[in-house]
Amino acid sequence: MVENTRKLHPADYFLYTDSIPSIWCPGCGIGTVVNTFIQAVEKSKIDFEKICVVSGIGCTGKVAEYLNFMSFMTINSNVFNFAANIKSENVDLKVVVFSNNADFLVSGAADFIEITEKGVDLIVIHTNNILYTITEHGVIPATPFVRISVDQNFQLPFNIPHLAESYGAKYIARWTPYRAGWLMYSMIDVFSKKGLSLIEVISPCLIYHASNDRMGDSVERMKFYDKYSVIRQGECTENLDIRAHNKIILGKFVNKK
Amino acid sequence: MKASSNGVKVKGEIFVIKDRCKGCGFCITNCPRDILELSAELNANGYHFPVVKNPDNCNNCGLCEMICPDFAIWSVKKEERRVVEV
Ligand code: SF4
Ligand code: SF4
Ligand code: SF4
Repeated sequence: MVENTRKLHPADYFLYTDSIPSIWCPGCGIGTVVNTFIQAVEKSKIDFEKICVVSGIGCTGKVAEYLNFMSFMTINSNVFNFAANIKSENVDLKVVVFSNNADFLVSGAADFIEITEKGVDLIVIHTNNILYTITEHGVIPATPFVRISVDQNFQLPFNIPHLAESYGAKYIARWTPYRAGWLMYSMIDVFSKKGLSLIEVISPCLIYHASNDRMGDSVERMKFYDKYSVIRQGECTENLDIRAHNKIILGKFVNKK
Repeated sequence: MKASSNGVKVKGEIFVIKDRCKGCGFCITNCPRDILELSAELNANGYHFPVVKNPDNCNNCGLCEMICPDFAIWSVKKEERRVVEV
């Protein structure tokens, strides 16, 4: 192995390196999302001083703390409003929202709908980790059918891409962190979009799997989600529920001018 | 190894900041050329970090760098002239 003489990761320029290693669990997809985001910023040659990062609570809330952009961490349920207000005052900024299920489905969905309808120019990178992390066995609107729910949740899971398309989002894609390359090119795509763009990242929480004693090992988990997902570009967003016996559909579904 | 059109082999050199690594193993499973393996020793936080077991095969694809959640590994391009046999 080459001895590490440079001591500097290429992404370090965009990070507060003092707080790395991050708080995230070993093998959590959020780190990969942040890493691909930085690489997308580098590759797209966008002026990084024009990027503003907003995040809410929970594990994705920490994103704003590590990223050395103009970044804000806001309170629960206010993340979309906050971002839209920033955008309305600073028209030339690219505002990127890192949201999770608690920010989005549980308390921010009404704001999201309003903002999407108005056509506010936001980039939403939604990390769907399938549960609340803080309350290990909590069931939320995105919890899939019996396969995942510890509490035998029989509700239909909420279909986030379909919600976004119904209200007029301009770009919708869904990936897992393990398809990091695809995810990065989606992020590069959305930098040139006007109007709301949504990238959903299915990144199941380690805590859930560890506590459920099924897949404790991050690599096993990665292989599982690789095996049970399938890429279908341009699939109709109505079919995108994550259900028990179907494969998770990944791809780029909506790409409007 | 694949040579690019101008007769130059693209090779990569791997760097690891071992104390940042959390031993998740993503880089090892993702590497298409089987370059990395987990170390026997532990880093400062008690995790096994990746080490390079066969450095000559790395083609600088950057997949390990892209997937690492903790900004611990990256590859740098190292070009090598192809030896022309006469
Ligand atoms: S608790 Fe879950 S979502 Fe949060 S960092 Fe750990 S694995 Fe990721
Ligand atoms: S750059 Fe590519 S080939 Fe080289 S170690 Fe990383 S993943 Fe493997
Ligand atoms: S992907 Fe990163 S954190 Fe995970 S084992 Fe490799 S170097 Fe360590």
